[in-house]
Formats: sequence, C-alpha cells, structure tokens
Amino acid sequence: MATIKIPEQKVILCGEYGVGKSSIFRRFTNNTFITATDRKSTLGLDHFEKTYCACDKDIKLQLWDTGGMERVASITSSYYKFAEAAVLVFALDNPASFHVLSQHLLDIVTYAENAKIFLCGNKSDLIEDVPQVTDSEIEAFCEQCHNLISGTYKTSCRTGEGLEEMFNDIANQLVNSNRSRLELQSMEQHGFKITQNEELTEDSCLC
Amino acid sequence: MDEEYDAIVLGTGLKECILSGMLSVSGKKVLHVDRNKYYGGRVGVNLSSGRAFGAPPPDDSYGRKRDWNVDLIPKFLMANGSLVKLLIHTGVTRYLEFKSVEGSYVYKGGKISKVPVDQKEALASDLMGMFEKRRFRNFLIYVQDFSGDDPKTWKDFDPNTQNMQALYEKFGLDKNTQDFTGHALALHRDDDYLNRPAVETINRIKLYSDSLARYGKSPYLYPMYGLGELPQGFARLSAIYGGTYMLDKPIDEIVLGEGGKVVGVRSGNEVAKCKQVYCDPTYVSDRVRKKGKVIRCICLMDHPVPNTKDALSTQIIIPQKQVGRNSDIYVSLVSYTHQVAAKGWFIAMVSTTVETDNPETEIKPGLDLLGPIRQKFVSVSDYYEPTDDGLESQIFISQSYDATTHFETTCLDVLDIFKRGTGEEFDFSKIKHELGDEEQ
Repeated sequence: MATIKIPEQKVILCGEYGVGKSSIFRRFTNNTFITATDRKSTLGLDHFEKTYCACDKDIKLQLWDTGGMERVASITSSYYKFAEAAVLVFALDNPASFHVLSQHLLDIVTYAENAKIFLCGNKSDLIEDVPQVTDSEIEAFCEQCHNLISGTYKTSCRTGEGLEEMFNDIANQLVNSNRSRLELQSMEQHGFKITQNEELTEDSCLC
Repeated sequence: MDEEYDAIVLGTGLKECILSGMLSVSGKKVLHVDRNKYYGGRVGVNLSSGRAFGAPPPDDSYGRKRDWNVDLIPKFLMANGSLVKLLIHTGVTRYLEFKSVEGSYVYKGGKISKVPVDQKEALASDLMGMFEKRRFRNFLIYVQDFSGDDPKTWKDFDPNTQNMQALYEKFGLDKNTQDFTGHALALHRDDDYLNRPAVETINRIKLYSDSLARYGKSPYLYPMYGLGELPQGFARLSAIYGGTYMLDKPIDEIVLGEGGKVVGVRSGNEVAKCKQVYCDPTYVSDRVRKKGKVIRCICLMDHPVPNTKDALSTQIIIPQKQVGRNSDIYVSLVSYTHQVAAKGWFIAMVSTTVETDNPETEIKPGLDLLGPIRQKFVSVSDYYEPTDDGLESQIFISQSYDATTHFETTCLDVLDIFKRGTGEEFDFSKIKHELGDEEQ
C-alpha cells in the first residue's frame, strides 16, 4: 500500500442519441474526428483514462461512453454508479436534444447522487446567425436545476474547440471539491476489482 | 425491430445477458429483448416491490427506498470459480466492484461453526474431536497435493474409478466430517456424490480452498450494489460489441418455419427474423418441464447473524443430515456495506429445494439462526428445465436458478448452452481487452 496512486475519477457522458457523445469521447482519447458521412451509432467504445494536472495535483479522468445503449433501450443504472462527474451533452443546432436534458438529469441525480454535473453544448461550429439554443435558455435551465450544474461549456468536436478547456475545468473542479474526500478515500477500505490471477507466491496454506 | 439477426435473446436475466455478451463478442448480430421495463429479470428489485409479497409499505426506519437493492435470488461468486473467469476474460470486471464475504459457516447440532479449510483451522475447529482432527488434516493435505495429471499424487487410490465414499474411508473420516466436507467445502446439494468418482469432489474442495486463498476471509465474493449489476455488465459488453437492446417489448410468438426450426420472433405486428433464439423458461412454457420447487425467504434485519463475530456478510450451510432432510438449506447474508440496503440494515436469505407440502417449516432451522427478523418475504418458485437440447428447433432454453448460493451451476448451464448453440466451446481469446482504442 506504499505506492502513491493517482486518484481516478469516473466521468460519464449523458445525452440524446446523435448529439456527439462519442465524438467527444474520440477527441478525448486520441483527438480525432469522424465526419457525418460515415458516422453511425456507437460500437466498441468503452472508457478511457487520461491524467490531468490541476492545482499541482495529478488527477486521472476516466471518461465513459454510453456504448450505444440509448439507441433503443435505456442505459443500465450501473453506468452511473461510482461516477464523480457527469457531462450532460446536447447539440447546439438541435433544440430537442436540449429540452430532453431534464430527463437525463433526473437519471443522474437518482443513480449517481454524488456526481458533479456539467453542461456541454456541442456542435458549436454549426451555429449560424441565429442560435437554436440561446444563452438565456441555457441560463434558465441551470437556474431551474437549483444550481446543480457546476459549469457550462460550448464545444465543437469538428474543430476541437473548447474541449481541452472543458476537461481541464472538470479536473480542476473535481480536485477542489474532492480534496479532503480523496485523502480520506485512500485510507478507507473499499471494494476491489477482480484482476487477472497474480501468481500465488507460496502454494497457499496447506503444506 | 424489422431486421434479420443471427440470434435473438429473450429476457435479461443473468444467464441470458452472459449469452448475449458471448454471442456479440463472437461476432454474431444480436437482438436482446425483455418484456419488462428494466434489466435483470428476476435478479434484483427495490424495496417498493415488497408489496408484491403482500407486505405493508415500508416505514421511515427503512431509510431511503433507493438505497435498497434486494436480490430475489441471492448468490455469491466463488473467487476462483467459473463466473469470475468469465468476468475476467470478457473484461466485465471493469464495470464492477466486489467485496469479500466475511464468513463461511456450517451448522452442526444446533449451532454454527466456521468452515475449516486449512490445517491450522482444522486443528482449531470445534467441529471434530482430537483424533478426527488429525485424520481430517491428513485428508486436506492429500487434496491439496492432488493433481489430476500426476498419478503419483493419487497415493494408491484411483479417483477416476473409485468413489468418494471410498476416499473418506481411506482416511477414516466419520459421518460428521463427511457431512461438512461434502456440503460446506465441496458444495454438493445432496449425498449422490458419495457414489460418484472421487475426482469430482476433490476438484470442488480445491476450488473452495483456491478461492479462499485469493482474498482471505472466505472463498466468496459479492458485487457492490447487488447482483443486478452482473447482467447489466454483460449487457454493456454486448452493446459495445454491437448488440441491440429493446426493453418493455412484449413477445407474442416465436415463429417457426420448416421442420419446426425457429425463423423469428413476433411482437405485435413486427417480426424480427433470426436463425436462433436463446431464452429463459418463462418465454417458452410449452418447451420446458417442472423439475421441482425452490423456496426462498428474504429477511430484512437490523443486526448481523448471531455468533458470526458481527460479520457484515456471511454464508451458512445446513447440511441435509443435520436436520433430517435430503437437500441442504442455505443461508446468506449481505448488508449496507454492499450498498444493497440502507445504513444499519441487513438482508438475509434462507433457501432450499422443497421436499414437503409445507415448505415454510422446512426452512425453520435456517430462520432460527437469524435472531429477530423485521420483515419476511417468502416465495416458492417452480424450477424448470428445457425438454430438449434445442438443436432441432434452434431454440436454446436456460434452466431456472437452483437453490444454491453460488454461481457454479449457473455458469455450467451457460457454457453448455453456448456450446450447443454455436457448436464450439467459447473462445476466450476472441475478446480484445483494450476497448476504446478502436481506431488502431
């Protein structure tokens, strides 16, 4: 137990089908973008870890994609478990994806009650003169949520604009709000993940 | 829904979700449907469902409803068992966190004792007299050194032809010791094993002690937030490999074609075409037969089980002979520490295979061990098995869950169905472990 572990924070992406959750995920993992022509519903994306440095502390953001389960059925509640942060994603050119967010918000507060919640308007490159979702609407939404929203961002996965800033800010906020808890956590005995059987050093107890 | 699939899986119980995950990983196009709005079939519920049992609505002492995740069919995982292997090889462990079960006990003469598994414990156990302890210790050493591939370790005993009774006699173990060895260590459900080759039981005891060696206190593991997390994990695996999920979709008919072979599944006016169907017995009542009944009693308590050193999780096995029965009674306990109950609460379950017309009195020895119980939910369910192997119809049906409190039989059923359905053993190497780098 002498090793210093960088704290790992689970961050989940939530939002309607097609708003670009997986595009955010791809930008996060390897900074690529896939254009609309060959875009399809998500297959094969799971989760990915990246280390950020916030306030002189290293923190590992572990970003989770929905795995495409929202296509037809609902997402399993286990997706939300242990999440420290949730990013509510909507598309700035799609008002419907914005108005449905209250539903996703409800899921988050039910299944991941400790998660900090962030709001992300994606596809900012598609906004022309008249925005489909206005700043005042976004503000009104945050107010209605009794300030549950810890931060709002506008991003574009096509250009990559705003994404690095968003994740840096999330990392910062998690470090600040969790500082004391993280230290406590490292002392407290928690559950464990099962890993590949390490070679047993001695032939167990019967000798 | 109107598409063609390689396989349609009906029901999101654990077995079906494992199968769905395995099939998707093997490159099959899978549609997974459940008639309910939620995942998990009969595995887990929250507290408000207690009304289905005719219980009064919970009062404030039960805390918040959403803190409860009560398993309807509680089971533990053997730390070195086949479900853990499946979880590791499919990578589903990423989605789960586990806790070790704190105690493993066996019932003898009205009280419970810790199950002894190594030589130190054997010598300290209050289950046996002084001379019996030495014989039992020798037996444990034999089992530990035993290797199926190396006849030298068999010590003038052929485990493949000689039965377990003969091995017990070779070590001079008395009935009592045989009882807890066969039922609490080898986890046999009845005494039929005595007449079968000894190798089976030896391997089961090895599984128990290898599992114990992995995490310490007991050979059992239990997932945080309850067993409902397991099917969800496999469902995510399936979705990640392209499986399509539909909940809240009633199934009206399994459509058969020429020669009684399945060609699709109908829901209302929609038909999804497929080559195979995998399902639990509730979707095909005409293709299963009743094999027996299982009684399960879920008990909510505000204290741990007495005489278990206040363990927050326990398994107790009551061997059949101790209470004059033909099948064992199983008691399991989990608690708030696993995020399945509100702070300070414990959930115990007593289960067994029904043998009489009055199943509730059958589980009394188990209930008597628990101390005061705040709320009891009793259910008796039929245990079904498929009437055929599904090769002709290409409809593969899982068995109902048995009374055991571990997953070994569950996994055997799943692996067997997979083999029948695909004609091959499941190839664990097909799964690449690092998902997320899909572009490489």
